[in-house]
Amino acid sequence: MKENFLANREIAIVAYGETKIQRRSGKTAYELAAEVASQMMARLGLRPADIDGVTFTELMSECSNPFWSNFCSEYLGITPRWLQKTDIGGASALGNVARAAAALQAGLCEVAMLIGADAPSTQWRASYGGYRNEFWEPVGIQGPPGAFGLLMNRYAAQYELKFEALGKLAVAQRLGAVLNPNAYEKNRVPITVEDYLKSRLVSTPLRLLDSVMFCDGAAGVVMTTVERAQRMGVTRMAIPIAYGEITNFNCAEMTPDITETGFSVVGPETLRKAGMRPDDIRSLHPYDDFLIAELLQLEQIGFCPRGGGSDFLLRTDVTYRGEFPINTGGGQISAGQIGLASGATNLVEAVRQLFGEAGERQVRDSANAMVTGVGVIPYGRNWGTSNVLILEASR
Amino acid sequence: MSAGSVKTRPVPKATLTTKPFWDAVNQGRLLLQYDVGAGCYQFWPRSTGAKSGSPNLQWREASGKGKLYSFTVTHVAVEGFEDRAPYVIGLVELDEGVRIVANLAGVTPDEVRIGMALRVTFENMPDGSKYYAFEPDR
Repeated sequence: MKENFLANREIAIVAYGETKIQRRSGKTAYELAAEVASQMMARLGLRPADIDGVTFTELMSECSNPFWSNFCSEYLGITPRWLQKTDIGGASALGNVARAAAALQAGLCEVAMLIGADAPSTQWRASYGGYRNEFWEPVGIQGPPGAFGLLMNRYAAQYELKFEALGKLAVAQRLGAVLNPNAYEKNRVPITVEDYLKSRLVSTPLRLLDSVMFCDGAAGVVMTTVERAQRMGVTRMAIPIAYGEITNFNCAEMTPDITETGFSVVGPETLRKAGMRPDDIRSLHPYDDFLIAELLQLEQIGFCPRGGGSDFLLRTDVTYRGEFPINTGGGQISAGQIGLASGATNLVEAVRQLFGEAGERQVRDSANAMVTGVGVIPYGRNWGTSNVLILEASR
Repeated sequence: MSAGSVKTRPVPKATLTTKPFWDAVNQGRLLLQYDVGAGCYQFWPRSTGAKSGSPNLQWREASGKGKLYSFTVTHVAVEGFEDRAPYVIGLVELDEGVRIVANLAGVTPDEVRIGMALRVTFENMPDGSKYYAFEPDR
């Protein structure tokens, strides 16, 4: 593999778009995608004919449709010369930043629109197949909460897991959702650590407030070359400077330590590619399907030692005003999980912060941000894909 | 299934690869795939070895014994499991060096402990077939 294909800093994110996140919106993914595409074209003064690259994330609401990318591009009036859909679950949106950067470098397209749209709370069409019909569903496991319940209990057996630390993270993210007009409206009220500790048990030790909730929505970004962006008169850019991705970390091992994730590989690797240390990161936007996933990432990317996640959270102010802001827009846990487009929520929040457009929840130092993705629940392990992106502000 | 009927526990549908496994389960035996090229067992069954990449796999009868690697107590039941809640699901590490996600029988949520010794047992499914589970090996 090339050491760092983003080292030349020649590719930029130049716009973002996001819908309000809703439960049972009644909207189709097409309508949600169009809302985001329209926002981004308006910002850049572009029309559909100016977009020549498009990439989507897989959708719960449309995955039975084998022609989604074509149909949706047509819906948007776009004639792509580079088109793809990525199916690494919640890691897809971040994965698309890397794929679009490579496509732009290779000259497959010049202006790429990356859209994540999904409406699983309005229309659910997913059917997993594979080993799940035989070895997973007949056990009655409560899907992702069940898998993360197994993971949390194992972590708690090996290390010290302090639930008040997870509660503090939940409270901090909820503060972001209160200040985020796009967050799921019902979640725009503050919670306390006590609320977290008393919330309903779903699959022990995992509780309701550890978890995301499927919602409808869309979010996306536009990417082009820095040179083209300058010609377009764009002044605010987020430059992807390093990226790492790994899928099915140690999957051929039958008895691995399941608390060890792909982030132990791509976390340190991506920092090294960027020439950075963990404490150089100004805000973190980790994928948050469950709070424990964030704690594991903090440890394995290198922000604190193994087993030190609870204490790190307890001693660090992770709100937007704090010394190490985490998921300033509420993350998915408080803003809502927009189906398999979910990775786009924290990506867009990071870009918004780097553009200096986060309003009341703007972080003090938005020189850079790290965004991560987590995708797919495997059999009795942690998760399928782990990816990490470091963005630097240019304005 | 007719409209309005209660959903029951889903029954696995065997593939060409997994048929020997389910045939054995229905006889009250647990088989594991042995990856000859890599010299190790694997679970869940597939048509090639995850380690060796080779189709040279053998079905071997498992001891059915192991230890609890992790567990979760399901409070919000999945459809078809309502009458069981709260129920315990274990991630069981077999002596052969594979892990299996399975229901734990004969142990209450208060009694379950990581590291406890377990042995395989078999439960009856809604269609009369069997499914593996684990119980304390006392």
